[in-house]
Amino acid sequence: MSEERIVEIVPEAGLHARPAALFVEAVNDHEADVEVGPPEGDLVPAQSMIAVTSLGVGQGEELRLVADGADAEAVLSELERILTTPEDELEA
Amino acid sequence: MTDQITDDIDELIPASHISLSEPPAGKEATIEYLLDLVVESGRVEDRQTALDALLAREEETTTGVGMGIGIPHAKTEAVNRPSLAFARSETGVDFGSMDDEPATLIFLILVPEEGGEDHLQILSSLSRALMHDDVRGRLHAAEDESEVQATLREAIA
Repeated sequence: MSEERIVEIVPEAGLHARPAALFVEAVNDHEADVEVGPPEGDLVPAQSMIAVTSLGVGQGEELRLVADGADAEAVLSELERILTTPEDELEA
Repeated sequence: MTDQITDDIDELIPASHISLSEPPAGKEATIEYLLDLVVESGRVEDRQTALDALLAREEETTTGVGMGIGIPHAKTEAVNRPSLAFARSETGVDFGSMDDEPATLIFLILVPEEGGEDHLQILSSLSRALMHDDVRGRLHAAEDESEVQATLREAIA
């Protein structure tokens, strides 16, 4: 069964640059298939940097995350942490 | 979408910003090579400032987004209008991307400091286009600059 969340983007750069890199790395570090996209729009594979870059999501916008797999809950929590932490407080 | 920066491809990426010959080996050298295409068209007031901004962005995290694509980019006062440049590589340039694929299609984006979200719009539109196999295939196969422009015109919505 898949899990999902809607998260509002906090980093100033949006889902871009370092937050985007950390986001994609987190997806690849977990046993789950994750898709991401606008709340009402098409989802793209979250493990692909180019797909995540294609979303062009800015600060204050909402993202829908859908995860499926053994780590679904854990990966969503980690992604939510990355997306809701100001960039200067994000650990590498 | 209307009135997007990507609507006028000829303005954004004139033929002189397109290279169909092999760029130098190495990420930094390739970035400088692409920057020089934009410098030569008279759009860059301060080459070093533009280069510093591009390399600072790479320092944060690579712009190698996988699938053989690199998109170095920066917002800088050193350019006077949004500009895109393109080079392709047969051998591939190591961009340190997460999927370990060397970059064979490389785009450079420079937008003025006051350009707001222009650079993110160009970056996302370009990324969306480049996810399609046929778009990448056409860019690899293009025989002249106008074919590259035509591909981008059709693919970037």
